[in-house]
Amino acid sequence: MKRTASLLLSVALLVPTLFSLGGCSSNGEITLRVYNWEEYIDEGGEGSYDYDYDETGNADTRPILDKFEEWYETEYGKSVRVEYSTFGTNEDLYNQLKLGDKYDLVCPSEYMIMKLAAEGMIQQLDFDLTEKHNYYNDYVSPFIREKFENGLMFVKGESELQPWSEYAAGYMWGVTGLVFNPAFVDEEADLKTGDYSGWKALINPKYRNKVTTKDNVRDSYFVGLGILNRDKLLNLEKDAPGYNDELTKIMNDVTPKTVANVKEILMKMKENIFGFETDTGKSDMVKGTIHMNFAWSGDAVYAMDEADNQNVRLDFHVPEEGANLFFDGWVIPKDDKRSEDTTHAAHAFINYMSRPDNAVRNSYYIGYTSVIAGDEMFEYALDTYSAEEESEAVPYDVSYFFGKDAVIEADVEQLSRQLYAQFPPQEVVNRCAVMNYYGDEEDAINELWTQIKGERLSAWAIVIICVAIVGIAAFIVFAKLGHKIEFQWKPKKGYRLIKQEKVK
Amino acid sequence: MTNFRISRKSLCIPYAVFLLFFVIAPMLVIVFYAFTDKNNHISFINFVNFFSDPTKLTTIVYSVVIALITTVVCLLIAFPVAYILARSKIKRKYIILLLFVTPMWINFVLRINAIRELMNWMNLLGEANYFNTVFGMVYDFLPFMILPLYTQISKIDDSLYEACADLGGNVFTSFFRVTIPLSMPGILSGVTMVFLPSMTNYVVSDMLGNSKVTIIGKFIETYFGTNWHMGSMIALILLIVVLLSSFLSGGFKQEKSGRTI
Repeated sequence: MKRTASLLLSVALLVPTLFSLGGCSSNGEITLRVYNWEEYIDEGGEGSYDYDYDETGNADTRPILDKFEEWYETEYGKSVRVEYSTFGTNEDLYNQLKLGDKYDLVCPSEYMIMKLAAEGMIQQLDFDLTEKHNYYNDYVSPFIREKFENGLMFVKGESELQPWSEYAAGYMWGVTGLVFNPAFVDEEADLKTGDYSGWKALINPKYRNKVTTKDNVRDSYFVGLGILNRDKLLNLEKDAPGYNDELTKIMNDVTPKTVANVKEILMKMKENIFGFETDTGKSDMVKGTIHMNFAWSGDAVYAMDEADNQNVRLDFHVPEEGANLFFDGWVIPKDDKRSEDTTHAAHAFINYMSRPDNAVRNSYYIGYTSVIAGDEMFEYALDTYSAEEESEAVPYDVSYFFGKDAVIEADVEQLSRQLYAQFPPQEVVNRCAVMNYYGDEEDAINELWTQIKGERLSAWAIVIICVAIVGIAAFIVFAKLGHKIEFQWKPKKGYRLIKQEKVK
Repeated sequence: MTNFRISRKSLCIPYAVFLLFFVIAPMLVIVFYAFTDKNNHISFINFVNFFSDPTKLTTIVYSVVIALITTVVCLLIAFPVAYILARSKIKRKYIILLLFVTPMWINFVLRINAIRELMNWMNLLGEANYFNTVFGMVYDFLPFMILPLYTQISKIDDSLYEACADLGGNVFTSFFRVTIPLSMPGILSGVTMVFLPSMTNYVVSDMLGNSKVTIIGKFIETYFGTNWHMGSMIALILLIVVLLSSFLSGGFKQEKSGRTI
């Protein structure tokens, strides 16, 4: 009897677990499964915008997800529960989706959005669903809107190329560039005019072991292309109408010949750099271990802030020949079982995150630039970057992004610092190209990375090492087969050696 | 109610289930991925690619060499320490022993970060990537060598040394004829515990070698982002290398009864 009772008890304990796995629970609560980058959303508490800008002392410093759940219930009368999880790389996200994990909203980078679309894994967005609050469409920056409407990608099942905006809503964006320490690096001579300017700074022997780049193939390949095509890129007419298209074409060149040329450059770069990094670069810059590092603008802002706290000055530079314009955007993976309520909640989530005050919260918390313009965002930029009274102020035009006569009277040194990284001037974003999904060439580029990262040795050295290893192995086997290897030492003083005889 | 009894054998069921789901099944999945292509058709393309690529082969040779050096250095450092500690008559040995083990209680990444700072301070970071990597591995795996050696050596009976001396054996004879043979099981388990993980512990090579040193574990990690089939193939090849080395070091053989006391 006892056993039956315990069996029943364990079944009773299991039942609620099973129910909670079923997604939508019985009381009609919507479950929204959001999959986002690590540390890529306002998590409230200390360090959040509400906490730091709180004057009254009773600001709402809850994580933004809690606020969304409350807002959704007030606005649409249904309760929603956000199941939030995070990923570390675009490839992780892709693999999880491929394995069959179900999410209602994910936030990959531009090339991964293109890959997901090409494989028919995401569905179209439909902002008509949330007719009441279309914050995304109302407030997205004209610059980003233009990029999303004119950017075309292949979608599985569609005969014509589709604009990104049909499938993705932007979240954060930025450019790549070089963070450098002006105490060691002369911007004018080493980054703008000299023989090793721009991305070539990474192969400048002057900075041997003092520069780093990212430990991933896409960023490194882009740098390689920049170095390879520097002269060609600088000779392009920057004011010509097709300039950006031409630039984008060059920076997306994955023909075998180009890949081979880039490989040579990257090999040279590997010899010159301090190392490849994923997140040690920021602290190494602040500590002065390295003097220059490849950085995404959001990380650059973080590094410069961190350095300011320790009285080290760091600057940011976007190479003249062109850089990478990247963005992360919300997309909805295809899922036949998703209820209409959940789809609605997913669109509402995008809109809530796009409400300018929330965009400020997220942007402040994570350091990247939101795709949302709007008054609150501009005020935030003014608050952060307007010059102090005693310092020299210069007008800094950001109207391409905010869409009106948006000018910040900025501190003169901000022209190469946080402001420059967070809201790059128009002439900088003009020379930035989006890097597309490599498509069929993806494997070739990944293989290139293996060749760059792997160890190299001449053939004879491999042979010698292999022979040595086989020799050791043979020695061990020989010893094991019963041929005892004898060491005979001289006996102690006063003893004499008796020859050992084999005992039968 | 049917009559079913719990016998002693059924105590093994939890582990058998664990073994089936978390050891055998994943292994089969890896074998499946290793011998299929992107469309999940059976193919040997990954196998061919691996053995026709000098970079991958060189990298695996490098990993073996780095692991060998790490193991030898660990053994050279650990053996005297374990021997002296096990043979000495001092009281409260466990305190010294504890000192060897305490670093393991601190998070590994934290310790490697600390070593990185130290290397930076000594101007080694970025200058001697391979040395740094081996140093970090030795630092990380040393306790795994000391502990089994200490346990094994402290089991050796003093009377054996006395007998050796009585029969005219000098210091060297007693070391090579008594200590070494009797501590062999400890050496073997220490070597296994150091050699195998140092082929794959790419956190050390990333942090201290600034990702300019690549060991085979890093390749597996990278490929599992982009191409699971190649990643599985490398994992499988590594598994075979590991099996071979365990076989050579006699890890599968049962201890000879005459060698233990």
